[in-house]
Amino acid sequence: MFFELNDEQKEFQKRVRKIYEREVSPLVDEYERKEAFPVQLYPILGAEHLLCLRCPTEYGGPGLDKISECITVEELNRICVGIGASIMVQGGLATDPILHFGSEELKLKYLSPAVRGEKIGAFALTEPNAGSDASGIRTTAVKQGKGYRINGTKTFITNGTICDFVTVAAYTDPSKRGTGVNLFVVEREDPGFSVIKTLKKLGNHSSDTAELAFDDCYVPKERMLGEQEGGGLEQLERTLKSGRLTYGARSTGVGQAAFEATLSYIKSTKRDGQLLARSQAVRFIMAEMAMYLEAMRYMTYRGAWLFDRGLASMKDASIVKLFCSESVQSIVQKATTIQKNAGQRMDNPIQRFLRDGRLSKIPEGTSEIQHLVIAGGLGL
Amino acid sequence: MDFQLTDEQKDIQKAAKEFAQGEFDPDLALELDQAGKFPESIWKKAAQLGFVGIHYPEEIGGQGLSLFETLLIIEAFCTVDSGIGSALSTVDLGSEVILKFGSNEQKEQFLTPLTKGERRLGIAFAESEDSGDLTVISTTAERKVDGNYIIHGKKSYVINASLADFFVTLCKEPKEGWITLIVEREKEGIEVHPVDKMGLRMIPFGDLLFKKVSVPLGNRIGREGEGLTHVDHCYQARALKSVAQALGTAQGAFDRALQHAKQREQFGRKLSQFQAIRHKLADMAASIEVARCLAYKCAAGFGQGNGDRNFLAVTQLEVGRRLVAIVDEALQIFGGYGYMAEQAIEHYYRDAWAIGVELGTEEEQKDAIAEIILGSDLAKK
Repeated sequence: MFFELNDEQKEFQKRVRKIYEREVSPLVDEYERKEAFPVQLYPILGAEHLLCLRCPTEYGGPGLDKISECITVEELNRICVGIGASIMVQGGLATDPILHFGSEELKLKYLSPAVRGEKIGAFALTEPNAGSDASGIRTTAVKQGKGYRINGTKTFITNGTICDFVTVAAYTDPSKRGTGVNLFVVEREDPGFSVIKTLKKLGNHSSDTAELAFDDCYVPKERMLGEQEGGGLEQLERTLKSGRLTYGARSTGVGQAAFEATLSYIKSTKRDGQLLARSQAVRFIMAEMAMYLEAMRYMTYRGAWLFDRGLASMKDASIVKLFCSESVQSIVQKATTIQKNAGQRMDNPIQRFLRDGRLSKIPEGTSEIQHLVIAGGLGL
Repeated sequence: MDFQLTDEQKDIQKAAKEFAQGEFDPDLALELDQAGKFPESIWKKAAQLGFVGIHYPEEIGGQGLSLFETLLIIEAFCTVDSGIGSALSTVDLGSEVILKFGSNEQKEQFLTPLTKGERRLGIAFAESEDSGDLTVISTTAERKVDGNYIIHGKKSYVINASLADFFVTLCKEPKEGWITLIVEREKEGIEVHPVDKMGLRMIPFGDLLFKKVSVPLGNRIGREGEGLTHVDHCYQARALKSVAQALGTAQGAFDRALQHAKQREQFGRKLSQFQAIRHKLADMAASIEVARCLAYKCAAGFGQGNGDRNFLAVTQLEVGRRLVAIVDEALQIFGGYGYMAEQAIEHYYRDAWAIGVELGTEEEQKDAIAEIILGSDLAKK
């Protein structure tokens, strides 16, 4: 057993921290305020080989492992969860299914520009009436000539308004609930694709979230992932597993940010004549935060390590996601409480960590869904 | 012991709820929250119907009831909308000081317009966002030979900073000691610096700067040297109002989650048919009941003029820790929708945090309770 990042990984961590602090940090306040994603970051991060970390070198990707990806996710989310959301989708849900199930032609067409940051990807599964229950989606893809006609509405779509392409889940056979789904790549320019509206959210303000419409949107059959009709939700299995581990790193990143901000606050703030860092109650809170962060980090990187060896089960991934997304609530809540009124000001990042951290319990399987998956994994 | 509301109290509660349901339009609430605007027209209507200052004596425009009835109104308002409800609950902050320590002329001059919806009041006590310790404040009011006070100083994180027409302001006079003065916001020498904040966005917060602000002797409340007593009295009433806001906000979040769980279907079933969701709702319902028992007992004591400080701290602690937990769980039941601003639960979450701060941190309340049950023998490391 080996519980440390190796020297190469530590160097990598240092390098990405430096890049994010140089390129991302200066954008955060402005784009959080604008509630928009700074698209200029894409080519910059592409040039630094920090997009689609696990994409193999033959498609221009860095070809790194899950541990390396988690390192980048933790570091980026330490700076900004909203910006991190967009980058996570680019390297995860939008491109992963293309990598695993797309034709060579699709891989060359979409992955290479995605890796370079020339094209932005999105992923569309959730619908107004189908969230936790993905098999309940109503979007259909009806075969017509040499392609499919897609109809439906998708919501909560990260990168929805800024994407160049979107990987969409739709029923090719609505009579086969759960199994009759396929994934298609739709391009922004395809007739029938439109953005209904951008959505305002509690947090992740610098990520772009939208509701999308597919109105008789025609795509050639070559844009379907896989050769046969059906099995699209099963194709997502590995991507979802990977994404749940990513959420461990995302939660750890924002938890770390809240911890660091609190540490500096209590060392410089006096309350009733006493430095906060001297209060036993505050010291206990800090100890607890440190404890959670350690545990979150171990779980996330162990999960990534298992994933890299093909050993991670969905139960493993769900345990990581559930533990980390619940633990980070305690960290960001305590961190906000300690600062009292000061913590409520919009110019104080602590309230952003609270709003951003709150997201973790919802996407890619709510905490309740993670419980179901874990219980199922126990053979129950 | 009588654990029932009187018929009159039930009527007031019902009237407040009906008014709020009729007037607090959800789209308007969303718009006002996003824009950070005060609900002007709703406030005017609420005041005209007697919902502001119901506990003031009838001679000055009130209805001669107790603070308890005011708290019932706040709770009902916040149940329907945490943002609008809170904004309406805080238009007469500081009135308690004038009610208890002010002269009849002051009551008529400053409180009667509050009941008519013509004026709003605020308090300017603290000088740092962090400390509750007011003995370190540095705002001075020097009494000149002509009888006027000249105020210098800065107040921090003032509620209704750009909205209140008057502030009950804590100052130190070199000879008189602590005093409170009623200061008009429009006075020359006052600057307001707005603060943008996460929750309760319909209530404008800000820093107030006083530079050579002249206030007549007639605006001093009560006697010289009494200032800290005034503040203490005001803070108790403020804490009770925050408890009522918290209770309403928790109830409103619960009501919405319950409604959503009964309507939303996933996996071919209503959310309300899943045991995990049913237990969450049961837990929330139980928690609100506990909070309400504490809040009403506490409020009844203060309403009858025999408030118990220790019990107030206990109430603040228990209601505060329940508030965020309940609203957080309600948001969770909404899933992805809960995170979107289109759903009221999104601003309930932010508002709950702002109200929680007003209630004080757990550590502060535990310090207060410990001091009562153990004395002040705290080792300072």
